[in-house]
Amino acid sequence: RCPQTERAASTNSELFTLTYGALVTQLCKDYENDEEVNKQLDKMGYNIGVRLIEDFLARSSVGRCHDFRETADVIAKVAFKMYLGITPSVTNWSPAGDEFSLILESNPLVDFVELPDNHSNLVYSSLLCGVLRGALEMVQMAVDVRFAQDTLRGDNVTEIRMKFIKRIEENLPAGDE
Amino acid sequence: MFHYTVHTSLDVVEEKISGVGKALADQRELYLGLLYPTEDYKVYGYVTNSKVKFVIVVDSSNTSLRDNEIRSMFRKLHNSFTDVMCNPFYNPGDPIQSKAFDSIVSTMMVQAC
Repeated sequence: RCPQTERAASTNSELFTLTYGALVTQLCKDYENDEEVNKQLDKMGYNIGVRLIEDFLARSSVGRCHDFRETADVIAKVAFKMYLGITPSVTNWSPAGDEFSLILESNPLVDFVELPDNHSNLVYSSLLCGVLRGALEMVQMAVDVRFAQDTLRGDNVTEIRMKFIKRIEENLPAGDE
Repeated sequence: MFHYTVHTSLDVVEEKISGVGKALADQRELYLGLLYPTEDYKVYGYVTNSKVKFVIVVDSSNTSLRDNEIRSMFRKLHNSFTDVMCNPFYNPGDPIQSKAFDSIVSTMMVQAC
């Protein structure tokens, strides 16, 4: 087995949390505007997602999902578990079955984080939205991902809302944003 | 009024830690115990191996607080402080404005009275 796979299981989560925190605060200093930082985090997440999907598919060997419900389960039970060590619950399905919520009880990205008052519009974990969007685009699904609730901004839970927009034609290449 | 007491106690802390020999050098933390009693207050000190100093000022009339309770308060303070340091929005040296830290301190103070 290659060295990266051997190492993966024992990476310290504090270093990961602090690295993400350093990234966010640096973006805050560089852009001085919460909305812009949210956009940049989403963009970075997208660039991670379009690459991460290959690793995910190789390591998890899940097959093609038959419907959006299956996709939701795979995201919550396999992907989140594999990369963040958490298993959000899947709830709040829309009647049409094209939109659902992921409820996160905990989130390693936000350990120890307290948002100062002057960053009330910062969606700290925006990277995750981009990752999900980019990863799903590579398997021909266009989705909209946003945070509906955020414990950092005073809500009781963190809720990610995912909406299926449309299938993407296979022959369109995905580029970096 | 507390500021004066605390500043004086910091001098005592400096004295104590500079006098410590090699024997105590491997301890991760230095619980300094009662720094000095004044008429109205008892002042306790604690220093970490990162040279962060904590001072607890207790009313002299409070005789029920035992040494191990003070030690445990310092440990909680140390742990909360570490969490504050890990907040990427906190700049070392700034006054602590963390709600989580404040809530731990308030709870401890209520329990001690």
